[in-house]
Amino acid sequence: MTMGRTLASIITMTVALGFWAAPVGAQPAGTLVVGLVAEPVNLDPPQVTDLNSNRVGRRIVETLVTFPEESTQVVPGLAESWTISKDGLQYTFKLRRGITFHDGTPLNAEAVKFSIERQINPNHPAYKLGKYPFANFFFGNVKAVEVLSEERVAFLLNEPRASFLAILTAGAASIVSPTAVMKWGPDYPTHPVGTGPFRFASWDRGQRVVLEKNPAYWKYPVKVERVIYRPIVEDQARLTELLTGTLDVIVGVPADFVGQLEQNAKITLLKQVGAHVWYLGMNNQRKPFDDKRVRQALNYAVNKEAIVKDVLKGTGASSRGPVLPGTWGADPALKAYPYDPERAKKLLAEAGYPSGFSTTLWVPESGSGMQAPVAMSTVMQSNLKAVGVNVTLQTMEWGAYLAKLRTKEQELFALSWMAGTEDPDMVMYPLLHSSQWTPVGPNRALYKNPRFDALLQQARLTTDQAKRTQLYREAQRILVDDAPWVFVDHEIQIAALSKRVQGFKLHPSFDLRVETISLR
Amino acid sequence: MRGYIARRLLLLVPVLLGVSIVVFMVLHLSPGDPAEIMLGSQATQEDLARLRRELGLTEPLHVQYFRWMSHVLRGDLGRSLWMKRPVLDEVLHRFQATLVLTGSGLLLSTLGGIALGVASAVRPHSLLDRMSAVTSLFGASMPVFWLGIVLMVVFSLWLGWLPASGMWAPYGGGDLRDLAAHLVLPALTLAAASMTIIARLTRSTMLDVLGQDYIRTARAKGLIEGRVVFRHGLKNALIPIVTVVGVQAGYLLGGAVLTETVFAWPGVGLLMVQGILARDFPIVQGCVLVIALTFVLINLAVDLLYVYLDPRIHYE
Repeated sequence: MTMGRTLASIITMTVALGFWAAPVGAQPAGTLVVGLVAEPVNLDPPQVTDLNSNRVGRRIVETLVTFPEESTQVVPGLAESWTISKDGLQYTFKLRRGITFHDGTPLNAEAVKFSIERQINPNHPAYKLGKYPFANFFFGNVKAVEVLSEERVAFLLNEPRASFLAILTAGAASIVSPTAVMKWGPDYPTHPVGTGPFRFASWDRGQRVVLEKNPAYWKYPVKVERVIYRPIVEDQARLTELLTGTLDVIVGVPADFVGQLEQNAKITLLKQVGAHVWYLGMNNQRKPFDDKRVRQALNYAVNKEAIVKDVLKGTGASSRGPVLPGTWGADPALKAYPYDPERAKKLLAEAGYPSGFSTTLWVPESGSGMQAPVAMSTVMQSNLKAVGVNVTLQTMEWGAYLAKLRTKEQELFALSWMAGTEDPDMVMYPLLHSSQWTPVGPNRALYKNPRFDALLQQARLTTDQAKRTQLYREAQRILVDDAPWVFVDHEIQIAALSKRVQGFKLHPSFDLRVETISLR
Repeated sequence: MRGYIARRLLLLVPVLLGVSIVVFMVLHLSPGDPAEIMLGSQATQEDLARLRRELGLTEPLHVQYFRWMSHVLRGDLGRSLWMKRPVLDEVLHRFQATLVLTGSGLLLSTLGGIALGVASAVRPHSLLDRMSAVTSLFGASMPVFWLGIVLMVVFSLWLGWLPASGMWAPYGGGDLRDLAAHLVLPALTLAAASMTIIARLTRSTMLDVLGQDYIRTARAKGLIEGRVVFRHGLKNALIPIVTVVGVQAGYLLGGAVLTETVFAWPGVGLLMVQGILARDFPIVQGCVLVIALTFVLINLAVDLLYVYLDPRIHYE
């Protein structure tokens, strides 16, 4: 029968096509291929808030100061040294000599001034070229950036802020080539130029971003020739590409795949707790959450260990407070609230809610740093039900959710925070200082404790780090006792690497520092 | 005929206007504020207010719409809020990839569907026919992303025959063979459902046609079976098939959004998903306009094909 034969030949052809197209692996030497969870949207780090853009963009540009691997001590970057005035109002940097941007423009004090002032000075020629989400948050306090000489530049602050040095390690503080910014105008994000270990080569939309090594990199010779970033949204596809050898590194390994990858001899799995905290916020100004006992009760009622183990499958570490354990501001003596439903019930009864109460928990469907918001909230809902608190979940889309949190109508809400700069001020001050109540700042729990406020303020005015540490430790003890949030977890970032990849480490700031990689 | 085409093209204008209004309203009235998303959770109230003003989001909706429309009419679809790139460039660039995918999906589903349908009709209740009925049920009810992942696991992970995602090999590649290898799985995924629908329809129409008197006449004249089936049978069965293929073409354009997401195919569907998540209004509007335009052009093409297939049809 002809039809049958036609069909057979179609099938044969399809299969043959498969064989014909067979060899799909085999990278050229020196090329590193990285699988991202989504496409970068913009390669100018001061213009973006998403991790994917930052992870690529920050390979191209650098900052005056930086954090080395696995340490939270600020070290020199483009600036080789600095001085801080006694009153804490002037930070003066001496730049390294002989560094040029990828386009040949020399790195000098003017370039530093340009890079920061474009974000905060409305009269700056590049001010309108982009939206700078962190401009006010990080540099609102900067009165002026002054060029003292070719290689000396000073930041003048309106008031002292001890975390300022840490702020200058952030992506928003990237030093860019003024020539390139003015040349490309609004198109600059697709033609970024910095001093970093890699220079921008090409961006094939939806397909790949290619960076080439900067042969003149000042810090050390970069060992890979080029890095290709590929956006692959689907988890299974990203994993398949890694297992078939067409990707060398993937981040954002879904929790469900971790066990399977641990068994795989072809893959190296890296884990690192990130500077992140996921919390269940309570509206501290609203009944019944205006009562400390109620807030503590909720902390006892939620089974964090179970959430970390069963929902996050080990991709989170249960949390004791807002500051990442192990970083310099964290209080090692801090005790976590244990899972103790009986204690929770007792506290609720003492607070006048012997039979519990009903409340609403707002949850975003997804969002930056939110891990598995709905699943995590569902577990908390059943935990709270067990102590008599009836929670109605109300899920929302991310953008709508953020807008809704400004209305101050929240009772319970799920949210997370990535500090990125690893300074305790950058977590506690914006999220919990009473001057930062939403809508002014991100203190959406509307928490207020004058003693806590005073400690944070004092720490801002102190440049001595040992003293700051003491102040932050005391602040954390007050905070954990006050329990304005249920402290849930810190995200553990997971990367999976092929065995070709050597010398790579994950960084607590969620940065993806591929410049340290060499390929076998 | 020429007048008819002109009138049909003119009719595109109100259709596209309607589409643009609906899309504009749905996007702007649905929750999710681009300013909130762009500035993130650190944003101050003043920053947000300023950004909303700069983006023109504080004005009444109809004012926003008319401003946007007047730009569109001048060929300017605006700039992406995030990428800062002209939307038209972005969308057209991505649209080529979508055309490659939906085009091959359509070809695959049409040829495969007709072949299967004819084979089933020629031998009703045969093994092939029954198998095709069963696979049709599967094909029509299988979610695209699920089928896509199954194919990916089998052909990329287990057998290692085909690349799992993307349109080209990341490092160069770039010839037709490379494209074909990347195309097989997504095109198959996209085509599966349509293929089974076309197959079932072809089968029933063919059965109907093959029972007609003129087929018996043709056979009685002693024509060889192949000629009877294709020249006399299939050609007369084609009109309903063309209609359903037209409908499926639209469906494939929609299905491309999912398929592109699963297979990281750099098309307009993936761009649209990205745009929706980031509330990048200009991008989403641009994508929808281009897809809508294609959709109506396909409908026009289907109508014109009728005339070619059945000379009895006349358009005034």
